[in-house]
Amino acid sequence: MSTATEFKPYSLSQTLSGHKRAISAVKFSSNGRLLASSSADKSLRTYGFTNSDSDSDSLALSPMQEYTGHEQGVSDLAFSSDSRFLVSASDDKTLRLWDVPTGSLIKTLQGHTNYVFCVNFNPQSNVIVSGSFDETVRVWDVKSGKCLKVLPAHSDPVTAVDFNRDGSLIVSSSYDGLCRIWDASTGHCMKTLIDDENPPVSFVKFPPTPSSFSLAPWTTLWLWNYSTGEFLKAYTGHVNSKYCISSTFSITNGKYVVGGSEDNRIYLWELQTRKMVQKLEGHSDTVVSVSCHPTENMIASGALGNDKTVKIWTQQKD
Amino acid sequence: MEDPLQGDFPEVIEEYLAHGCMKSIAFNRRGTLLAAGCNDGSCVIWDFETRGIAKELRDSECSSPITSVCWSKCGNRILVSAADKSLSLWDVMSGKRITRIVLQQTPLQARLHPGSSKPSLCLACPLSCAPMIVDLNTGNTTSLKVSILEISNNGPTPASRNRCADGITSFSPTAACFSKHGSLVYVGNSKGEILVINHLDGEVRAMVPIPGGSVVKNIVCSRNGQYLLTNSNDRIIRIYENLLPLKDEVRALDDLNERLNDLNVVEKLKAVGSKCLTLFREFQDLITKVHWKAPCFSGDGEWVVGGSASKGEHKIYIWDRVGHLVKILEGPKEALIDLAWHPVRPIVVSVSLNGIVYIWAKDYTENWSAFAPDFKELEENEEYVEREDEFDLIPETEKAKTSDVNEDDEVDIVTVDKDPAFSDSEMSQEELCFLPATPSCDAPEQQDKFIESSSKLVDSNNSGSPFSEEAGPNEHTMNHNLSPVEDDAGGLRIKRKRKPSEKVLELQAEKIKKPSKSSKSSKSKIKSLVDEDDGNGFYGDALSDE
Repeated sequence: MSTATEFKPYSLSQTLSGHKRAISAVKFSSNGRLLASSSADKSLRTYGFTNSDSDSDSLALSPMQEYTGHEQGVSDLAFSSDSRFLVSASDDKTLRLWDVPTGSLIKTLQGHTNYVFCVNFNPQSNVIVSGSFDETVRVWDVKSGKCLKVLPAHSDPVTAVDFNRDGSLIVSSSYDGLCRIWDASTGHCMKTLIDDENPPVSFVKFPPTPSSFSLAPWTTLWLWNYSTGEFLKAYTGHVNSKYCISSTFSITNGKYVVGGSEDNRIYLWELQTRKMVQKLEGHSDTVVSVSCHPTENMIASGALGNDKTVKIWTQQKD
Repeated sequence: MEDPLQGDFPEVIEEYLAHGCMKSIAFNRRGTLLAAGCNDGSCVIWDFETRGIAKELRDSECSSPITSVCWSKCGNRILVSAADKSLSLWDVMSGKRITRIVLQQTPLQARLHPGSSKPSLCLACPLSCAPMIVDLNTGNTTSLKVSILEISNNGPTPASRNRCADGITSFSPTAACFSKHGSLVYVGNSKGEILVINHLDGEVRAMVPIPGGSVVKNIVCSRNGQYLLTNSNDRIIRIYENLLPLKDEVRALDDLNERLNDLNVVEKLKAVGSKCLTLFREFQDLITKVHWKAPCFSGDGEWVVGGSASKGEHKIYIWDRVGHLVKILEGPKEALIDLAWHPVRPIVVSVSLNGIVYIWAKDYTENWSAFAPDFKELEENEEYVEREDEFDLIPETEKAKTSDVNEDDEVDIVTVDKDPAFSDSEMSQEELCFLPATPSCDAPEQQDKFIESSSKLVDSNNSGSPFSEEAGPNEHTMNHNLSPVEDDAGGLRIKRKRKPSEKVLELQAEKIKKPSKSSKSSKSKIKSLVDEDDGNGFYGDALSDE
């Protein structure tokens, strides 16, 4: 389906299995050396590159650590900026901080009163933000584990939380159909974004560099400018009506938007033209999470229970 | 995007920090870290965002009270002066001391040269002699001249450099500060004169007499270098406008000196001085005639803040630069010993005599329109006039609701927007903005009990701010379940503003009811503000499982 002359199609280069139940999230670390996945099987796994060759054809991931300890399934995870720590959000109402290399549990953050659904570190990684089915967004101090703020964010489960690239803003999305922007240092609500029809918002994310845009699916994927509150671009064609599917930006080789879909495929759109340039096939269940490598042209994806695998996609080298 | 309600001046105590007995404070350039020098010779670095301790700088050689703390511009170094006559230069990231120099007298204030990222020069103001430039690498000191008499008498012999020429001044400390880029030093002497000195040779290049000629206690440069503040014994704070160009100050001074060469020395210095600084405003409290302490500018230079030096009261006066007194902040009945304004936010931090640091911030009123974008806040009632077609079944104006945003427009997601508050972008490469946070381990057997997780903290964290609540809607009860230690500390809480939370709750209860939501959701929203035990796993687990 690639129509752009410069677009090189991605293809499947690796499948990583090991999780015993549906995958909920996959994320690359910011130093690009690790991939982590979380699952309904209550565990997290990390995978590292075995080859340090710069030749991306020979970049292969192999399982490194397993992180167990949660009492219920894990919905989301995030790396700290220095890739030393992982935080995970679980249905057991806690967040857990893990030491990446050793796999040991460092801390348990308690406070949410319902399933914790989403989590992220701020760029300085001294603070963690989490969103939960208890309709609140919580801000935690990494060092002490104390909950610094509880934001009365929404009136329905919070589906995603993210920091912008300088850590000054938090964005949260929810089933109540709203996206809200908060000042990270004071916890004050700055803005609320609402689509006319109020459909549940399943995901929201800031782009990798400081700018005024973020991505949010309201059944269609929207890119919006949050300072002006305007919706700028829509990316359609995929299927997303049941699950909270993550999407992301790919900026390593041209600018694209990448998102999972309930038809078991991964969709790639050109950022500016909104044209769909590729549909990646291979998973046997809904692709619920995607992540782009920070420097290589590589996409990682995780799918639900029928599939249970993490797949790695790379662009062919000429 | 800025919070439109911030950007003015603080109003209430938001929080306090307690750790040992803190004496002197300084923010780093971006306001993300606050360094506090303590009575026991150590320096604590607070992460201002989490209000927890990020690092402690401590060494066995110094156990005397710290007299001042100063960050280098890039945030990598801290200079600490202590009552044992020492100056210590620390590397912040590693927490290691780089060098220590012992002077002949205790420096009351020490400032690192602001012009470079790894400064080796600093300005020290000793207890009772002339301020000096200290080379931290070699330990050499260059005294600055504090009186123009020294110059007009062809200068004293080198041996008497460390003694003030004028006997009267030898027992009072002289105030001094660097200009914005550090090429000049402004000294305020005991005769009420501002001397403009070249930092390299210590020679006076200009002189500005302050009206009244009172001893100058403090002299401070604004962050943008455009204003200079003097605090004199006559209880007046004066603001001077800096007329020199910021980048080529020395050359401009030299030019002026050249042009006025025909005058005698003193006249020439005064004439040049009049071209350097001009008196802009004077601040005083005519009623109480209070002495001022630790005056300084706000980060943007729009506000001037000064503490009352009267014993037993903790009062902070805030003026706008034009001279209007806009606020008096009153704290607990403990004398104020130091004051600092946050570099970018409307926050003031003050230190009281018993070593507690108070954080003052704006009293937050909920911005309702941020929660419900269809609503607009009005200052007062407005008469509403309906449109002609307002009650038509199909109003004309509502028909074409198409967005006029062109979806094909290019969108830029990678360009970085520069923060206008920090104009020196060349520093940003090596700048230290924050210290990495390492989570402290929970003890293995107590990982599942959240009460324990906070008391398991390393000592330094226990003495961090016990209360991370803010006045306003985010003042939540989350810390009330913590260990008894922190509940006892609740007795110490002074002047915490509790009222807004009730008012806010009522207003939120009224306003945040969305038309399409059932009453269940607005009830649960209010509940979550008051009572933590909301949420019964009401929603089905449709997502983390198949």
